Amino acid sequence: MDFWSFFVMDFVKQLQSPTLAFLIGGMVIAALGSELVIPESICAIIVFMLLTKIGLTGGIAIRNSNLADMVLPMICAVVVGITVVFIARYTLAKLPKVKVVDAIATGGLFGAVSGSTMAAGLTVLEEQKISYEAWAGALYPFMDIPALVTAIVVANIYLNKKKHRAAAKATKQEYLSKQPIAAGDYADKQDYPSSRQEYLSQQQAPADNRVKIWPIIEESLRGPALSAMLLGLALGIFTQPESVYKSFYDPLFRGLLSILMLVMGMEAWSRIGELRKVAQWYVVYSVVAPFIHGLLAFGLGMIAHYTMNFSMGGVVILAVIAASSSDISGPPTLRAGIPSANPSAYIGASTAIGTPIAIGLCIPFFVGLAQAIGGL
Amino acid sequence: MAKPAKKLVIVTEKVLLKKIAKIIDESGATGYTVVETGGKGSRNVRSSGQPIVSDTQANVKFEILTPDRDMAEDIADQVAVKFFLDYAGMIYICDAEVLYGHSFCGPDGC
Repeated sequence: MDFWSFFVMDFVKQLQSPTLAFLIGGMVIAALGSELVIPESICAIIVFMLLTKIGLTGGIAIRNSNLADMVLPMICAVVVGITVVFIARYTLAKLPKVKVVDAIATGGLFGAVSGSTMAAGLTVLEEQKISYEAWAGALYPFMDIPALVTAIVVANIYLNKKKHRAAAKATKQEYLSKQPIAAGDYADKQDYPSSRQEYLSQQQAPADNRVKIWPIIEESLRGPALSAMLLGLALGIFTQPESVYKSFYDPLFRGLLSILMLVMGMEAWSRIGELRKVAQWYVVYSVVAPFIHGLLAFGLGMIAHYTMNFSMGGVVILAVIAASSSDISGPPTLRAGIPSANPSAYIGASTAIGTPIAIGLCIPFFVGLAQAIGGL
Repeated sequence: MAKPAKKLVIVTEKVLLKKIAKIIDESGATGYTVVETGGKGSRNVRSSGQPIVSDTQANVKFEILTPDRDMAEDIADQVAVKFFLDYAGMIYICDAEVLYGHSFCGPDGC
């Protein structure tokens, strides 16, 4: 009972908080056909500022804390990132009308972390005066990279297997179909390539089938979100950025977050149309998955809470980043890593439904859960 | 005097920008121009003006001047074979006459 009252209270509070209010506001004006446009370059600078701030916070905290405390939460983050992809592989991919590669890509995106959702979660914890380890934001890359790498590797293994199976089948059929045909009967067409492109791609030697992991890691590290965050982290650890942090990054954080939330709301609404073109099961998955992923992380976080004294606030952050799905750095990495997956499916599922659910419902849900269990 | 050349135009997804630039460089072309574009095609409207958080949905247009058709076709084939089964893309070729262009025509001009 306690939990539900906490959840409802937090949810109502969240509705009035700038984070969710701006998100819903963005959806509403997009639905009404507003022509408001926030320039892309502004979004880019906001994302940079938010993640640099989170990185700086983490870096400054790491400088003053015990590294050994971080090991178990980091392992939890890696485990969650990898598990999420396999959850999608063995649930979403088995559903009717869902292509396996699309499902794996969706899993990768839901396993990866959204910087904006994490920023929103941190803001909620601060508003409610729940204490958490300041370095908890630094768990981001430990969940993000394993999820993207796992998704790309699993998808490529699947595609290679499929290709081999198709090739084996084709040679068998070719053998069987080479029967003598009556003269003048041209109906039995050979499989000649129908276009120049097809012909040329058949000429290419079979590409080397091993999936290279390092380029994927490199690409996600170079992505705008992670590089901003890691830069902040490094500056926080090795330099003394406190003055610029206090006068610039910290005061602007919430205002910029509200603008980003507005953009996310508009973006979510415009993507819903795309999601309609793919199977309905994506809608079900993207509503349910954030809760399941978050609960998994919450459970693992609780182990760290009891063994290593990881704070309940930290457990909530771990759960929130697990519930979030990437919307900045994840999509380009996946588009490059799994080209045959349909971006409408995974970006639509993540941006249109996953992110609003994670911000609007999952954050109050996990804060409520932590309050009910941990008596915060 | 104008120097005859071929203008190869590649319109495709922005995620491929670096990879295609590499193919063009390796083919021996002297250079290329890239612009961000939007438009409508078989894969629906793809704009660059929307508030897009991730850049994956934007399009780019490459223009490459090549001295002969062979080089242009070589670039086009490589790009099409590597990417166009999975990514949106369109390639066309035009006749061009270069009037000025130091790197393309040589030190004495066209």
